[in-house]
Amino acid sequence: MHPLSLSRAPRAVLLALVGLLALPACSDDGDDRPDAGQPDSGTRPDAGAGDAGGDAGTSDDGGTEGDGGTVAWPQDFSCEGKEQTTLTFNPGQEQELQDAVNDLAECTTIELGAGTFQFDNAITIRANGITIQGAGKGTQGEATGGEASTVLDFSNAAANTNGLDVVSKLFTVSDLAVWNAKKDGMRIESSSNVNIQRVRTEWAAENLESNGKYGIYPVKSTYVLVEDCEAYNAADAGIYVGQTQHTIVRRNVAKKNVAGIEIENTKFAHVSHNVAQDNTTGLVVFDLPGNPIRGTDVYIAHNTITGNNRPNFASVEASSSTVSQVPAGTGTFILASRRVELEHNTWGDNNTVDIAILSGLAIESDPIQWAAGFFNYPSQDIFIHDNTFTGGSGRMVDNGTPDPERRPLGALVGAVYQYGAAAHGVTGVEHVLWDGIDPAPRDESLANPINICFTRNTLPEGTQASVVDFDLQAVGGHLAAGPTPENVAAAWGETRRYAQDAEPYNCAGFTPALTLR
Amino acid sequence: MHRPFIPGLGLAAVLVTAALASCGGDEDGVPPTPDGGSVVDSGNPPADSGTPDAGDDAGTGDAGADDAGTDAGTPDDAGTPDAGLPDGTVPIPNALSGFGLFTGTPATGGLKPVEGNIPYALTTPLFSDYSVKSRTLYIPPDAQARYSASDVLDLPVGTVITKTFAFPADLREPEEDVRVIETRVLVRQPGGWEAFPYFWNEAQTEATLANGGRVVRDVRFIGEDGVERTLDYLVPSKNQCQKCHHVQDAQENQVLVPIGVKARYLNQDQDYGDGPVNQLQHLADLGRLTGLPPVDQVPREPNAFNPEEATLERRARAYLDINCAHCHNPKGTAGTTSRLFLNVDNTDEFTLGVCKRPGSAGGGVGGEFDIVPGDHSTSILWYRLHTEESGKMMPELGRALRHDQGSQLIADWIDAMPARACK
Repeated sequence: MHPLSLSRAPRAVLLALVGLLALPACSDDGDDRPDAGQPDSGTRPDAGAGDAGGDAGTSDDGGTEGDGGTVAWPQDFSCEGKEQTTLTFNPGQEQELQDAVNDLAECTTIELGAGTFQFDNAITIRANGITIQGAGKGTQGEATGGEASTVLDFSNAAANTNGLDVVSKLFTVSDLAVWNAKKDGMRIESSSNVNIQRVRTEWAAENLESNGKYGIYPVKSTYVLVEDCEAYNAADAGIYVGQTQHTIVRRNVAKKNVAGIEIENTKFAHVSHNVAQDNTTGLVVFDLPGNPIRGTDVYIAHNTITGNNRPNFASVEASSSTVSQVPAGTGTFILASRRVELEHNTWGDNNTVDIAILSGLAIESDPIQWAAGFFNYPSQDIFIHDNTFTGGSGRMVDNGTPDPERRPLGALVGAVYQYGAAAHGVTGVEHVLWDGIDPAPRDESLANPINICFTRNTLPEGTQASVVDFDLQAVGGHLAAGPTPENVAAAWGETRRYAQDAEPYNCAGFTPALTLR
Repeated sequence: MHRPFIPGLGLAAVLVTAALASCGGDEDGVPPTPDGGSVVDSGNPPADSGTPDAGDDAGTGDAGADDAGTDAGTPDDAGTPDAGLPDGTVPIPNALSGFGLFTGTPATGGLKPVEGNIPYALTTPLFSDYSVKSRTLYIPPDAQARYSASDVLDLPVGTVITKTFAFPADLREPEEDVRVIETRVLVRQPGGWEAFPYFWNEAQTEATLANGGRVVRDVRFIGEDGVERTLDYLVPSKNQCQKCHHVQDAQENQVLVPIGVKARYLNQDQDYGDGPVNQLQHLADLGRLTGLPPVDQVPREPNAFNPEEATLERRARAYLDINCAHCHNPKGTAGTTSRLFLNVDNTDEFTLGVCKRPGSAGGGVGGEFDIVPGDHSTSILWYRLHTEESGKMMPELGRALRHDQGSQLIADWIDAMPARACK
């Protein structure tokens, strides 16, 4: 994506949208109607994951956290009744392992002994019913496997290769670490019934743009479980679920990445009990332009998303990546997303803002680019309730190092709030920032046209406003005319702040409730 | 102007292929492929034949069939390779010699195709780290390929395609001091195509099946520009072959297919000993190809680096087609994700990349748009094929080095487009 083109986003483009808005109105909402109250979990029946489902049963109405996780996902491949073999490899047998992996019978289990495996090429799996099982994922910083850990070290691998590279139906990988992969640590593509459990992906160096892009990267898949994993130092996203239908991402730890956890163009995602700290941005939910899958029904609960203030190291030059544009200190970034429920999470100490809710047009202003997903740029139906905001956020936008070229949103917000602090005593960005672009063009008579609900959250003592309608379009227009005091004041004047219980953000969520399985 | 099969080898051994047309039923070497003929009639072009289990059953069962090697030592009188099991399945030997497709070895002065294993070259080949590549096509004597104007030739069960990769010490003397690294073998099995890498030993006497792939460190050679280059050369694993050799079938399964064996790349002359003859015509004359229209009606992609053959645009498109379009097409995984379609028959400027933003290009790829007309330096398409940085370069596999000529060609093409700003 290109830098935020506020000065270039002409009214003409937005007016042109009027004609296009008729099209998305008849898009794919119909077949995604959730059936309310559906328990959300669902590990595959033969995954063998003993601890699966422990926290899974949260119902989407914000009620009690049950132990429901028994609803099985469907499988389009099964090993039942088929010959199942186990191959065991230990460090030193890398070439034997590679040869075997490339000649796998379906339903093979590969057991990897403890210690360090040195690979010079990706481990490429193209067979169904494969399980890879190590001795343990070790701990952060552990480059070599110990007695109870298995480290797959790709430091000396051929250029441009991934760590694990998988296309498989019914695939399980567990209890190992992927170290210093050249590209993605673990790329699992066009697969179904994927279980990624107790895996660590890590690059040795912090803040290195040349680190691999994604740590754990299931993409274009269905029925994906990522649990009890850790991801460190990815130059893009630590855990990235892309273009996938039905996923559970729970009890993972993502730290020191540009983006901790990303849910992209994904339908039916259950994201719970994760810890996303010390990233540039902790948790990202977004649709990319030009992708034919329209993300929807994303449930985010019991996550800790605090202290995500790592300087953005995604890129040092003009870039096409989304995350390179995110200002440091963004707890949660919701872009071109719909039907997202966030409850029982904790945010705090995120320098820019705890939650930003943006239209896709804020990043990609050309609606034609969104045509593949039936113009899926709007964000809509964002229900934020019963969370805890511990404070300390919004005090130093983009860590106080704005860059209008690379991270224009941060530069803009920073400039406006600098004025707000000086002229109006506003001490920081509110917990939720909404860009106010949707629907485009904006109808000023509607205060909350995209149905953002913000209720029953625990806020720091003395909190006044907690939601800001930033009106990015108008603010950008004023500042584009020049950073004069008058223009900055006018820009500030376009923004509106709402306390938690104020209309119209005190709404009761959305019906029907989310579908998660 | 094509290099001999393997540098250092004359064409004498190949001459016998000319005789094949008249001795298709060589009693000594008739391969037992009873149903080979029916497959020819199956009406399913390989590219979309849908054999949905091609990926699933690859390598099962037949991998360890050592018996194929029995005729390896006497290829001269074997006439044709052993085509294998009753259903037409080609046994996959552990040693390349087990196919019986070649005589000699690089160590003895040349790896020579046996009769019926027909050398061919492409008008524009895919770039692979400047390696010198030699290709052969073996079609069972009782079977025929069928012509397709646009897709890969419809090749029958039992077909074996080989491609041998070698590095001369100095590309300016490509026949001297040659190190042969690998021979990749594509086999048309009853269930679909399968791919196998064979890795040559240091003594250059035998290549053995290396399903796991290999990395050869510090390969050094002097380029045609006189510059010494060093790289770690990756012999792709068997599964990695699928990353390039694939299309998605109707069920979105990945199906393996050949890349270069298309009429438009084969449509050129080669001297098999009796003077230049069109490669496709040669195949037809040998009885190995049906449905070939008069050669002057066959489409042709130009040599991308011969300005006398075609316009800059045509040559650039040919280069992108052979190097990128096996993934970047409407049925390829990368194509469907990126919506960047570089197949030569794509006439849509936008999906060709002009002023198109990538879906998710990752960091630091040099610009905002795939192609900025008039400015290659800010065009991601060019950047991707120019950079040598892991994670950013394209294609994903198969190169560690920049192709200077190719990079220049694409730069020239983009720069020659009428400049306009993208937005």
